[in-house]
Amino acid sequence: MSATASIEGRAFGDHLLLALVILLSIVMIAPVLWVIGLSLKDNTELMADPNSVFHAPYTLKNYINTVGTSSVFIWVRNSIIVSGGLTLGTLILSSLAGYGFARLNFPGRDVLFVIVLFGLAVPEQAVLVARHQIFSMLKFHNTYQGLILPGLSAPFGVFLMTQYFKAIPKELDEAAMLDNASRLRIFWKVLLPLTLPAQATLGIFTFLGAWNDYFWPLISATRKDMFTLTVGMASTQTNFAQSEGIGFLMAQAVFAGAPILIVYLFFQKYIVTAVSGAAVR
Amino acid sequence: MTADIEIRNVSKQFGAMTVLDHLSLSIRAREFIVFLGPSGCGKSTLLRMIAGLEAVDSGEIAINNERIDHLPPGKRGIAMVFQSYALYPHMTVRDNMAFGLANIGVPGKVIEARINEAARILEMPHLLDRKPGQLSGGQRQRVAIGRAIVKEPKAFLFDEPLSNLDAALRTRTRIELAQLHQRLQSTMIFVTHDQVEAMTLADRIVVMNNRKIDQIGTPMEIYERPATKFVAGFVGAPAMNFVDATLDRSGKNATARFADGISVQTEIASSQLTDDNYTFGIRSEDVRIVAAGQGNADGVVDVLERLGERTLIYARLGDGQQIVGSDAGNSRVAVGDRIGLAFDGQKSHLFNETGRAWHAREA
Amino acid sequence: MVDRLATSPTATLAVGVRAPTADIYAPQWRNFIFVAPFLFFFTTLLLFPLLWGMWLSFHKADTFSSGNFVGLGNYARLYHDKVFLQSIWNTFYFALLTVPTLALIGLFLALCLNRRTRTAAVLRTLFFSSSVLSVTIVTLIWRIVFIPNVGLLSTIYGWFGATAPAFISDPSLAMIGIAIATIWWCIGLPMMLFLSALQQIPQDIYEAAALDNANRWQTLRSITLPSIKRTFILVIIIQIVLQFQLFGQAWLMTRGGPNNLTKPIVLYIYDTAFRRWDLGLGAAASEILFILILVAAMAQYLVTRSRGDQA
Ligand SMILES: Nc1ncnc2c1ncn2[C@@H]1O[C@H](COP(=O)(O)OP(=O)(O)O)[C@@H](O)[C@H]1O
Ligand SMILES: [Mg+2]
Repeated sequence: MSATASIEGRAFGDHLLLALVILLSIVMIAPVLWVIGLSLKDNTELMADPNSVFHAPYTLKNYINTVGTSSVFIWVRNSIIVSGGLTLGTLILSSLAGYGFARLNFPGRDVLFVIVLFGLAVPEQAVLVARHQIFSMLKFHNTYQGLILPGLSAPFGVFLMTQYFKAIPKELDEAAMLDNASRLRIFWKVLLPLTLPAQATLGIFTFLGAWNDYFWPLISATRKDMFTLTVGMASTQTNFAQSEGIGFLMAQAVFAGAPILIVYLFFQKYIVTAVSGAAVR
Repeated sequence: MTADIEIRNVSKQFGAMTVLDHLSLSIRAREFIVFLGPSGCGKSTLLRMIAGLEAVDSGEIAINNERIDHLPPGKRGIAMVFQSYALYPHMTVRDNMAFGLANIGVPGKVIEARINEAARILEMPHLLDRKPGQLSGGQRQRVAIGRAIVKEPKAFLFDEPLSNLDAALRTRTRIELAQLHQRLQSTMIFVTHDQVEAMTLADRIVVMNNRKIDQIGTPMEIYERPATKFVAGFVGAPAMNFVDATLDRSGKNATARFADGISVQTEIASSQLTDDNYTFGIRSEDVRIVAAGQGNADGVVDVLERLGERTLIYARLGDGQQIVGSDAGNSRVAVGDRIGLAFDGQKSHLFNETGRAWHAREA
Repeated sequence: MVDRLATSPTATLAVGVRAPTADIYAPQWRNFIFVAPFLFFFTTLLLFPLLWGMWLSFHKADTFSSGNFVGLGNYARLYHDKVFLQSIWNTFYFALLTVPTLALIGLFLALCLNRRTRTAAVLRTLFFSSSVLSVTIVTLIWRIVFIPNVGLLSTIYGWFGATAPAFISDPSLAMIGIAIATIWWCIGLPMMLFLSALQQIPQDIYEAAALDNANRWQTLRSITLPSIKRTFILVIIIQIVLQFQLFGQAWLMTRGGPNNLTKPIVLYIYDTAFRRWDLGLGAAASEILFILILVAAMAQYLVTRSRGDQA
């Protein structure tokens, strides 16, 4: 008797939760579908009636315009260079330093590591003004190095790689030392291949962060041909209403967002690990 | 290749804790030496000092009369098999074995030949192209040994290499190790806390306890004439019987008297002994089971352990003390029986308060 | 010739001079080269700018020169600047809107989606997917939701003959609009943190509870929630740190308006330092933000560290 009641109550609760989750999923998806819909519509038709989104005719005109007329490709190229350069640099610096902090001993190591950890707590905004001034003096603004270098100072990668190296059994190093391998060779031949998962995590995380970064490129890259995709897209948004048209903007958004979402679907595991790891530290 | 190894007055501290306190030890060429002792007594530390993985705080280590304690691990000409095997996970078995040789510029042909030879000895040619993750525990163990063999080292160091294997495999590998030693005629140092491994493998056993070496000797010396009470208790299963005793030193040989009036005539010369209170020790196989009243003492059987070729009898004496004796495999004794225990005076031992041991004159 | 023989290593050994014993774990300067490249960038582009920024905050400075020492002058100006005070309030208000909502929705989603079904996996992927988009795309999407006429919201309201609230232009709604876009953007992280915390609860506790006939609500209240209390605090702190750095959404959706009502501290810094080129004042404002965030980071450190004590 009471058993059936509780089962019914359970079913009712389940339905309620399910409804809530579905509602939230719709909130997640609907705006994106809306954007995709708009991107496939002719501007004049849209302005006449937004409900025209729900029926044909659809057109790829906005995408053709995006690809053909705007500076999008230059920005994509810039973003690839900056994100790729930063990712490569971060992987190299973090692997070397992670190995150094985890495995080697040198005077002042522990103090230095604490200082680096402290760097994790420093928000970008606290160094931005001074960094901008230094880069002005070095004439680094509107250059690739100006966009790449600041990211190389972030300690997260070092932190991640240090943790990862520490988790590899020390006996491997010792066996390699008995095998007459130098420290550099141990690093390169024995340990680095074992850190591939961490490299992937850190690499994707760094690339994504650089690709999506908005603040530093906004203040450092002021020339249109040095914009990254994020900044460039934002710059076309400013004249929102009177711009080339809503559909065109939406096509740009889809054009910029789709590759990232596809990358996400492929590397989901690494991205989630990296983002959660970066948050908890 | 082989080498004698000389350890002189070696000490080691970790922080404030002294782990090894002025140890000295000579290992002869081609010898199979086992470091035996309870967990945490510093066996691995001593082995790692020989390998160069731990610094020597004071003292010297020499191989073939050349000091090596200032040399980095790779330059000492020794190979080590780790408890965890420490195989390079991303390299094939072949590359695991080749790595150390390639590092010192051994020509590819020679490397190839040595790997094939080692694979043949260890019966694993079919495993050469696998990665460690694709091997069973026993196979990994072989690869670790193979990686040591190809280096043709002056000495092999093993740190509890069998402890990650299941019982059957452990016994088999033990025998194979003994054969390998015969074949290679190389110096081998083997660390274990398992006294069966030590007894079966060693030419000489180094029993370590509490920062020091308690005894160095052949397995039978260690077993029959343990230098200390610790060694006597640690080596041999079941552990030696210990009973508190007072001595009657009036005769040529001392007589041990237990609390409830039982006495055993030992063959230990009274003249060596200075005190009256000792611990009397005797192994289970030196305690025969006889009819009640016929032996040195009577007891009631608590537990029987049938091992097949003999039966261990756990008997309780009048004062509650338990003594383990041994009887034939098909012993008729049953739990609760009243039996007699006959102690073999020739095989009795006496230990003083500091643990020092006295034995019967050698026959 | 003879001299050389006498100083060769073997000869040195022979006369008994004790060579230093090999210690592979001894500190050595040459090991430093592995960390040196990173430390170079860390020092020049993080530590030094951090100190330089503090120094700047005591000066009247523009892009190329650092002018006169003004002591606490910049801080005094901030203290009397209505816009700055407003931006601090805005930042707190924004955090108040987003942080608890993110934590609660994240927890709810994690509790619902912590199962091994395919649907749950797909939904987890969905709810995290927005997190990988850039702020530009997110704001573009949400402006197109909120915008009058062709906006999704006004279209939906239009079906019912109603007028949609003006989330971007209405002073009392603008910050809420930004908060909605932010929650949509950021919901993935809290959900994932809660999920990983839920997965660390040992399964046998639940089995024991089931044997004790605990119903689902009791299990949730007496087992699940207490075991993730620490994660909840952690999520709150992480989100405070993140949301205190609000910039892109506000800049791109409302430009800080209307009437500075959606201008957070970072936007104030951007305006002051990089649009009005008052670097000293901007630096001072960023020091204030730094202190606020440092307090939260300290709290995070304490929470993460004390987790070890409990385990
Ligand atoms: N790197 C180290 N730092 C501090 N203490 C250590 C270190 N290595 C070993 N010890 C300590 O030294 C003692 C001997 O260790 P070990 O040689 O590994 O013992 P065994 O191999 O006999 O079990 C133990 O008490 C152990 O805790
Ligand atoms: Mg050990």
